[in-house]
Amino acid sequence: MSPVEMQILATSFAVASRALLWSLPFAIAMAFFLSRPGTPGRIILDGLTHLPVILPPVLVGFVLLIVFGRRGPAGAMLDHVFGIHLAFTTAGAALATGVMTFPLLVRSIRLAFEATDARLFDAAAMLRAGPWDRFLSVALPLAGPGILAGAVTAFAAAMGEFGAVITFAANIPGQTQTLPLAIYAVLQEPGGEAEAWRLALISFTVAMCGLIAAEFLQRRARRRQAG
Amino acid sequence: MTLEADITLRQGNFTLDARFTAPDGITALFGPSGAGKSTLLAALAGLKAVSGRIALNGASCAHIKPHRRGFGLVFQDARLFPHLTVRGNLAYAWRRARRHALARFDIAEVAGFFDIANLLDRPVGNLSGGEKSRVALARALVAAPEFLLLDEPFASLDGARRRAFLQVLRTAHQRYKTPMLVVTHNIDEAAALASHLVVLAGGKVAAEGAFAEVARRSAFQALLDRRDIGAVLPAAALRSAKDEMIQGYWLRADHVLLAAQRPEAISARNILEGRITGLQSEEDGSVLAELETQAGPLLARVTLEAARELELATGKTAWAVIKAHAV
Repeated sequence: MSPVEMQILATSFAVASRALLWSLPFAIAMAFFLSRPGTPGRIILDGLTHLPVILPPVLVGFVLLIVFGRRGPAGAMLDHVFGIHLAFTTAGAALATGVMTFPLLVRSIRLAFEATDARLFDAAAMLRAGPWDRFLSVALPLAGPGILAGAVTAFAAAMGEFGAVITFAANIPGQTQTLPLAIYAVLQEPGGEAEAWRLALISFTVAMCGLIAAEFLQRRARRRQAG
Repeated sequence: MTLEADITLRQGNFTLDARFTAPDGITALFGPSGAGKSTLLAALAGLKAVSGRIALNGASCAHIKPHRRGFGLVFQDARLFPHLTVRGNLAYAWRRARRHALARFDIAEVAGFFDIANLLDRPVGNLSGGEKSRVALARALVAAPEFLLLDEPFASLDGARRRAFLQVLRTAHQRYKTPMLVVTHNIDEAAALASHLVVLAGGKVAAEGAFAEVARRSAFQALLDRRDIGAVLPAAALRSAKDEMIQGYWLRADHVLLAAQRPEAISARNILEGRITGLQSEEDGSVLAELETQAGPLLARVTLEAARELELATGKTAWAVIKAHAV
C-alpha cells in the first residue's frame, strides 16, 4: 500500500473506531431498554432508533449540519463551551458514522439481550442483587459475546459509511477522507479507475474480515446461550 | 422468624386472596395445579406486585424491593447462571450477602454439606437434575435469606433422587435453621417435610395450621384424590429404618388394614392400637374408618362386608396394620 492509501485506511479506522466507541454505551442502553417487555414508549423509541436506516444518508448529514454545524444550536454550544468543532472534522465524520450505524448496533445488541433468559434476573434479585447489579452481573456478561459480534459488524459497516459523512464532514484527505470517500474522489479524476480498484480491494478485505470475525463471535455466543 | 401474609393480587380472571401465617420451621404450601401457589411465592418474594400486608417477624415488608426484602427463592427450574461455574454461582450469592454483612456461611462448608464440593469448578450446563437442585438450594442458603421460599423443588427429580433431596432439605433446615415455605402438590412430600400446612385452592387459603390438625379437615381432604385420602403420622411413631430425617408419613386409608384383635405372627412391622371414632360409608361401598391412636388419628378403608364381619363400631378398639412399603 502507498503512503496515501495507508493514510486513507488510518482515517477510516480512526473514524470507525471513534464512532463505535461513542455510540456503543448508548446502543447498549437503548438495546436493553428496547428488549424489556412493558417499557413505556418502546414503539416510538424503536422507530426513532431506526430512522437513519429509512432516511437518505444525505438527509441525515444535512440534519447533522443544521444541528451540529458551527451555527447550529448544538454546534454553537459545543464550540462556545468546549471549543469543539464537529463539521468538517474527523470527530464530525465519526459522529455522522455513529449515527448511521447506530440502528445496526442496537438491533444486534437487542437480539443478544432478548436471547438471554430474563428469568435469571429474578433469580439474581432473590440473591440480593439490585437492578444495576443485575444488569452488570447477569445481563451484560450473558449478552457479551452477542454485543461484541454486533460491535464488529457495526465497525465493518462504519468503514463504508458515505452519504452522511460527505455531507456533514466533507471529503478532506487525512481528516475525513475514509475509504469510500477516497474511492469517490479518485473516480472524479480521469484515469482514476486503477486506484479505485485498489481501494475497493482494501475496503472489501476489511469488510470480509469484520464479517467473518462477527460470525465467529455469534457462534460462540450461541454456544454460550445454550449453556 | 414468622411470616405473615394477607395479600390480594388480580391476574386476568384469576384472583389470589391469601391470608396465612408460616411459623419458624418448615411450612408446606399445598394445593392442586392452578391454585396459585407459584404466584403466591412470587408475590411474597416481591417479583409480583400485590396489595396487602406481608410481614417478617412483625415487620411489614410488602413495600420493600425484592432484593432487599430478605426472602430467598429456589425456583422450580433452578435458574443457575450459565456464565458462571458452580463456585461462581455460590460466590455470587455469598458476595451479595457479605455486602449486607450477612455472609454467615462458608462456601466450602456449604458445598461439602450439599455434596457438591467436587462440582465447584464445573460449568453449570452439564450438571444432572439432582446436582442442579442441590446447587440451587445451596446458593439460596448462602445468600442468607431470613425466610426461604421453595417452588416445587422436587418437580424435576424422579423417584430416588426425590427422596434423597427431601432428606437434604430436612437436614439443611436443621443445620442452617432457615425457615422455609415449600410449595408442593404431592402429599407425601408435604408430610415428610412440614410441621405446618397451608392449603391453597382457587387462589384462596382453604385451611392453615399444624399439619396433623389441618390434614383432618374436610376442606383439605376434599382436595385429595380418592386414593390419596389418609392421615399423617409423625415419623417417630413408626418403625422404619429408611428415613430418619423425615417429619411424618402420609398414610393412605387404602394402605392401612384393620383388625378387631391384636394381630400376631404377621409380617407387618407397624401395628397401632386405637379406638374407632368414626365410620363413614363411601359411594363405592367401602367404609372409611377413623381411628384415634396414641400417635394420632388414622384413616383405614375397609369393604362393607369386612366392616360387618369385624363388627366395627364407634368406640370399639381396633388395631391398624401398616404395610412397610407405605412408610
